[in-house]
Amino acid sequence: MKIVVTVKLVPDLNASKSIDPATKRLVRAGAETVLNPYDEYALEAALQLKERLGGETSVTLLSMGPQATQETLRKALAMGADDAVVLSDDVLAGSDVAMTAAALAGALKNIGFDLVVCGGLADDGSTGGVPGALAEHLGVPGLTNARHVEIDDAVVKVQRETDSGYQVVTCPLPALVSVTMAVGEPRYASLKGIMGAKKKTIAPLCASDAGVGGLAPKTELLRFAAPPARTKARVVEAPDGATGARAIFEFLRERKLV
Amino acid sequence: MQHVVEVVEHRKGQTRKVTFELATQARDLADRLGGTAHAVVLGSGAAELAEQLKAYPLDAVHVAEDPDVDAYLIDPTIDYVEAVARAVGSAVILVPNTMYGRDVASRIAARLGAGMVADVTGFEVEGGRVACVAPKLGGATITACAFRDGEYGVATVRPNAFAAQSGGAGARVDAIEKPPGRRYAMRIESEVEEASDELGLEEAPVVVSGGRGLGGADPFRTLLKPLADALGGAVGASRAAADAGWVPYSLQIGQTGKTVSPKLYIAVGISGAIQHKVGMRSSGTIVAVNKDGAAPIAEFSDLVVVGDAFAIIPELTKLVEAAKA
Ligand SMILES: Cc1cc2nc3c(=O)[nH]c(=O)nc-3n(C[C@H](O)[C@H](O)[C@H](O)COP(=O)(O)OP(=O)(O)OC[C@H]3O[C@@H](n4cnc5c(N)ncnc54)[C@H](O)[C@@H]3O)c2cc1C
Repeated sequence: MKIVVTVKLVPDLNASKSIDPATKRLVRAGAETVLNPYDEYALEAALQLKERLGGETSVTLLSMGPQATQETLRKALAMGADDAVVLSDDVLAGSDVAMTAAALAGALKNIGFDLVVCGGLADDGSTGGVPGALAEHLGVPGLTNARHVEIDDAVVKVQRETDSGYQVVTCPLPALVSVTMAVGEPRYASLKGIMGAKKKTIAPLCASDAGVGGLAPKTELLRFAAPPARTKARVVEAPDGATGARAIFEFLRERKLV
Repeated sequence: MQHVVEVVEHRKGQTRKVTFELATQARDLADRLGGTAHAVVLGSGAAELAEQLKAYPLDAVHVAEDPDVDAYLIDPTIDYVEAVARAVGSAVILVPNTMYGRDVASRIAARLGAGMVADVTGFEVEGGRVACVAPKLGGATITACAFRDGEYGVATVRPNAFAAQSGGAGARVDAIEKPPGRRYAMRIESEVEEASDELGLEEAPVVVSGGRGLGGADPFRTLLKPLADALGGAVGASRAAADAGWVPYSLQIGQTGKTVSPKLYIAVGISGAIQHKVGMRSSGTIVAVNKDGAAPIAEFSDLVVVGDAFAIIPELTKLVEAAKA
């Protein structure tokens, strides 16, 4: 069985993020590039499946982005993925959610898959729209927000989180699953994994080979501005409960919140 | 883009305030575009809910009480929404910015070849083009994003961002014909409710949220719940509290939980990590109760009370209750 995990490389989580006024794109220079943390959970889920299924199961990484990010991908290979494909092309720069999903779909059709595993969202400002759109483009079932994934006899069974609990959903392969952090903490790369990763293939794929040379974004950033600044907080030391409670109560009164 | 179609989230006919906020906003936006306003209500309880929606200024409510909608994940829903969107013509599709809404939005946008903007808090119409106002980068910038020349655009709209205003002549209710020849694959085998009480967290006017500083599950019930009740609000939590198993994940606020923007957010024993901040920073007033005056939450609060939550919160609850009496 062939599992493909989509991984995005994003600016370091704690780096402050901004938009370049000229290109209206996220500023990526400067900040260290890391694996989108949510995709590490997707990879963890895929590796767990590989361990359970055994046999011919393979895990391929698919990343869209500049070639330069390959070194970060080695970390994911060191965790246990078998190989990687990097979809990289100038014509894909500045993709929005719709274009990213369409481009990844083209790449996935090119490399083939039985199961696609995605992280729930990307840390760098994306909003979790890719997995659903990707399933739609691929024409396969898309099980989003899974906190537990099982495969038995080519049937996928997930527990998926809902706003108020969870539901159990099944479907046949091929399929796409997006996971939440509840699938389990991403494993650390072993020394053996790190050594082995150096020999694994990272294959380039260009937009025309993926059949997605003619895509355009469906949205356009017109303007952006800083949100209204919050005034500096009032700070009250509360040596006892009554002092603290009174301070809050008076403050809420002032603001007509009680 | 000319018309507006709202996709209604509900459970067996029970819905939330955001449904009516979107209905009101659908009318407003349709008027600015010179088009019509529609709602789509699907699955068990849809007909009953459609009657309620008649009180809002929509032109039409499209209904399908098809058991497939409840038996299979998302696919039947998308087929019906697509059918309505195609019948209505060029349109902006509005869904609530909730887990359900984001699923619907990503699927229908891809189906229609449309752009998608998430967590929208306002709309601008410029020369017939629709731009969505949405906070991005965890609220660090406010963007205006336009749909490019497409027939359709999809927006997930933040609950509490718009007012709900009933009125209008009473929408007509239409039955949607079942799209022929579909077979569905994602079967919903069972459903488990873990926090049915807190369905309205995203639209509660007040959220009292607890973190690791509470030290266990009990204080959420004995400390925070009474305060939330007194203030007419809901209880939320940090990821640390959910990870510890003190509350279900459905109460978690932040990047991997819910985004809330209540009038008042009270953070109790929460340090204010970036992933928590992005889920609540646009709240009207933020009050932090923390032992540590240097915790990051102090940087984006309006009032920081440095002290012990276990001493302060019960006293505060008494004051609020006394003021109400
Ligand atoms: C990929 C990723 C995604 C994440 N997503 C989220 C998310 O969606 N939401 C989220 O919340 N977190 C998220 N986190 C976790 C986040 O980074 C923080 O670890 C978490 O928010 C910390 O929770 P906390 O503030 O409750 O705990 P802590 O950071 O441990 O803070 C506890 C606070 O309580 C105070 N305190 C202790 N005792 C008392 C007392 N008696 N009275 C008053 N104050 C007291 C302490 O001074 C401290 O400030 C995510 C992390 C990662 C890596």
